[in-house]
Amino acid sequence: MFYFRGCGRWVAVSFTKQQFPLARLSSDSAAPRTPHFDVIVIGGGHAGTEAATAAARCGSRTLLLTHRVDTIGQMSCNPSFGGIGKGHLMREVDALDGLCSRICDQSGVHYKVLNRRKGPAVWGLRAQIDRKLYKQNMQKEILNTPLLTVQEGAVEDLILTEPEPEHTGKCRVSGVVLVDGSTVYAESVILTTGTFLRGMIVIGLETHPAGRLGDQPSIGLAQTLEKLGFVVGRLKTGTPPRIAKESINFSILNKHIPDNPSIPFSFTNETVWIKPEDQLPCYLTHTNPRVDEIVLKNLHLNSHVKETTRGPRYCPSIESKVLRFPNRLHQVWLEPEGMDSDLIYPQGLSMTLPAELQEKMITCIRGLEKAKVIQPGYGVQYDYLDPRQITPSLETHLVQRLFFAGQINGTTGYEEAAAQGVIAGINASLRVSRKPPFVVSRTEGYIGVLIDDLTTLGTSEPYRMFTSRVEFRLSLRPDNADSRLTLRGYKDAGCVSQQRYERACWMKSSLEEGISVLKSIEFLSSKWKKLIPEASISTSRSLPVRALDVLKYEEVDMDSLAKAVPEPLKKYTKCRELAERLKIEEIKGVQQDEALQLPKDLDYLTIRDVSLSHEVREKLHFSRPQTIGAASRIPGVTPAAIINLLRFVKTTQRRQSAMNESSKTDQYLCDADRLQEREL
Amino acid sequence: MWRGLWTLAAQAARGPRRLCTRRSSGAPAPGSGATIFALSSGQGRCGIAVIRTSGPASGHALRILTAPRDLPLARHASLRLLSDPRSGEPLDRALVLWFPGPQSFTGEDCVEFHVHGGPAVVSGVLQALGSVPGLRPAEAGEFTRRAFANGKLNLTEVEGLADLIHAETEAQRRQALRQLDGELGHLCRGWAETLTKALAHVEAYIDFGEDDNLEEGVLEQGRKPVSIVSPEPGTTRDVLETPVDLAGFPVLLSDTAGLREGVGPVEQEGVRRARERLEQADLILAMLDASDLASPSSCNFLATVVASVGAQSPSDSSQRLLLVLNKSDLLSPEGPGPGPDLPPHLLLSCLTGEGLDGLLEALRKELAAVCGDPSTDPPLLTRARHQHHLQGCLDALGHYKQSKDLALAAEALRVARGHLTRLTGGGGTEEILDIIFQDFCVGK
Repeated sequence: MFYFRGCGRWVAVSFTKQQFPLARLSSDSAAPRTPHFDVIVIGGGHAGTEAATAAARCGSRTLLLTHRVDTIGQMSCNPSFGGIGKGHLMREVDALDGLCSRICDQSGVHYKVLNRRKGPAVWGLRAQIDRKLYKQNMQKEILNTPLLTVQEGAVEDLILTEPEPEHTGKCRVSGVVLVDGSTVYAESVILTTGTFLRGMIVIGLETHPAGRLGDQPSIGLAQTLEKLGFVVGRLKTGTPPRIAKESINFSILNKHIPDNPSIPFSFTNETVWIKPEDQLPCYLTHTNPRVDEIVLKNLHLNSHVKETTRGPRYCPSIESKVLRFPNRLHQVWLEPEGMDSDLIYPQGLSMTLPAELQEKMITCIRGLEKAKVIQPGYGVQYDYLDPRQITPSLETHLVQRLFFAGQINGTTGYEEAAAQGVIAGINASLRVSRKPPFVVSRTEGYIGVLIDDLTTLGTSEPYRMFTSRVEFRLSLRPDNADSRLTLRGYKDAGCVSQQRYERACWMKSSLEEGISVLKSIEFLSSKWKKLIPEASISTSRSLPVRALDVLKYEEVDMDSLAKAVPEPLKKYTKCRELAERLKIEEIKGVQQDEALQLPKDLDYLTIRDVSLSHEVREKLHFSRPQTIGAASRIPGVTPAAIINLLRFVKTTQRRQSAMNESSKTDQYLCDADRLQEREL
Repeated sequence: MWRGLWTLAAQAARGPRRLCTRRSSGAPAPGSGATIFALSSGQGRCGIAVIRTSGPASGHALRILTAPRDLPLARHASLRLLSDPRSGEPLDRALVLWFPGPQSFTGEDCVEFHVHGGPAVVSGVLQALGSVPGLRPAEAGEFTRRAFANGKLNLTEVEGLADLIHAETEAQRRQALRQLDGELGHLCRGWAETLTKALAHVEAYIDFGEDDNLEEGVLEQGRKPVSIVSPEPGTTRDVLETPVDLAGFPVLLSDTAGLREGVGPVEQEGVRRARERLEQADLILAMLDASDLASPSSCNFLATVVASVGAQSPSDSSQRLLLVLNKSDLLSPEGPGPGPDLPPHLLLSCLTGEGLDGLLEALRKELAAVCGDPSTDPPLLTRARHQHHLQGCLDALGHYKQSKDLALAAEALRVARGHLTRLTGGGGTEEILDIIFQDFCVGK
């Protein structure tokens, strides 16, 4: 079977609709006839780029509209990607063939996995990213994506038409009006406007309208949405000042070096573009009482802090840290902005003091005594739309075929934005082809938790992913995102390339085979002890022990097992990733008593042969539990409903297994046809 | 280092000891393999109550409860003496039916006990079943679910039963809520809070530990709740109280002022408080001077306190009294003893230590009687449910202790908290996040 070990990065294979032009850059919006696309994506940030490329991968002719092409892929805040929970999201985006993980593997300058000591379910892949490289690589990717057109322009209004009677919603979007009055028509429209909706920048007592320092906000669009009846809220966030690298005395600070070897973000990469020894270090310093003093003395000059708008509790400005947790030393990480950048990003010093006071405060800090502030920190306040107004496919309830993704939904973070972008792009495209929506459930991925939390609970502060939000944390791990999502992404969404799909299939079947082989090998504990002397296997009871259980010992891995029992285990050590994943699979194998799977494609809202209340149907529809056990844990799903569901699944399974026997051959033929089609 | 939290969790778990009479650590994993039991007839007083089991250990359970008799003939009603497998104490003479699978309601091995309907009998049999390894109380609808899974019910049957189960679940929920208004609920909520806090701190360490150096802080914060001890309202300064372990029972010992009449106002207040404490006590140790039984205060004491407690029939009162006569060394060895009209009493000499062993033995017996029946409330199903969830909580905390992988450890805490919140309600993720952000300065 085909899989690619050590293949560096690769470009999505072209789809069958080769007659469409490759991506092109059109700055000429006044084309002779009114252009018409399948999907329009407004915004070129982390949600917009993923949405546009996902829609294009699904086969939709897609237009990406952005204020400025040269800001596509801009990292407006921290120069890093990933982290705990966020790294999980990136793996899932990658499993759906999204961009950010692959781009990060080409652009990082310091790769480090967090939580290494805490168990594979909560490992956090993270890297410092070179802003310039990221942007370059992202733009290269975007401009070379088949079916994707990029155009500069600010959207002022939406074109609305009569709603489709078979869907809810008071009208339907059919295109956009640009600032210059020109129109572009489309079947679906995705809004990924970030902080640009009535964005307002705050430094000290000054405010001025901007979506990002130096960029115009979107005001017309915000008004349009409000007029349509969308509930709008206001959030705030902030970014720290940037410091000149050569003005910092690193020699007296605590130096942190990257991991060796670097762990790539993408399933398709074995290594990252840069060797560990060529990567850049980070440095750690701390605030002190003098910093507190400056903050407290100047509160009257700081309107952002006084505002009642909710900011993120987990990413507080230095002002709110001083106010809420006084008399403490707070960490300040000094992070590189890029290989050839002369800027340093002081993570932890997000602030909105007047510019001149920012430098005064910073120079109080150890190592920064002579620091020069190149760009002051600032706060941003912006509109977001209450995410309870969108469905799990990210389409709005109010306006048919209008999708929202990213910060506009009240989230924060590049990874959260990217995750929503992929889902919006896929669903906007599926909507055009009249296929059922692609929804990730809480039991399937962090993406599911993120979207379910947003759409059912809403949010009153910028929403960030945490592993503690995830009920099924032990099974939703970074290592198995491909098994969870790639196969579905290929079959249900069509957003995954053939190569990636085959690789995921190979990995999945190899893991299953490996585990059954490990289960089949059994020796007495005394024999295991002799075979693997370094393992602390207890020989007090002479019972047969399976290789799978031996693998649970911390000091045993597939290599030591294969040394002890070369046949048939040797072949599972040839692929590094497979060997490591076998070990991890075993660690989590604690609680799998809920064997009965629920079919993924079950449409809870319409299935007829089962008696379920409407309320329960909706709950199941939103949560899409994978097993009966998971279904029974959903609040509001009654034991009675579970029994009915169980009955339904059992009878369906019986019917299907009868059918499968007769149609297996047909299926193979069918698959073969599809493969050929793709390869054309 | 996060393991320090274990102390906290262990403390939280220590409380349920009185309730969790089942000590077996090998509690069966919930899953279709387990054998389940439940009271299948209605709640409340009735002539006959039916208790059902289903699962592979059914036959074993029947054999254990009816030992030394063997399994009765399949599908024939037989009269058997049921006794508690732990104490051998007889529980009831009952009709038992043995349905080996697959010819049973659920398709699994099933047993029906038709017992006399008194709450004490039903409670006794349920607790006896709970003590058999491999058995656990059934979840709502579980019998039906198993019946269905084994192809024993058709659609209409299931639908009818589903409604019934729904009603049953609702009744159970209401009953559980009612019971949780009381002291038990207070206790559970306290434990749930402690666990929530512990979990929040472990979660904080997982989500923020690496970047924010929370490690030290987590443990400091995590240990704090350990100091929570059982809250005892109304403790007065002049009644000295110490929690002690007496013969394995957790006991709160209160030393009160002597009950004397005609003393000054301060001592009178002390006496008043002593009397108040006397009314609340489960067990009264009444101490008199053996050589001074004829004095007016001794007579008065015997007449009012000792006689009034003794006069109540044992079943009406949960209060017990031990009369102790101290200074036995002052009685003449040949003398007639302290007095012929005295109620049962113990002689003790604190000076020589004579009679101390006898007193301790008597205390042990009394305490066993007081603590043996942990609750006098009758709701049977909910009690089995409480026991199950508390045991589940305890087991999960055991896994927490064993886990080397912090994510697994946190999972055990989540499960433990889940069990408690099924008794107390609540338990969302936001609660955890709120604690994290309140207690820690997270974010770089």
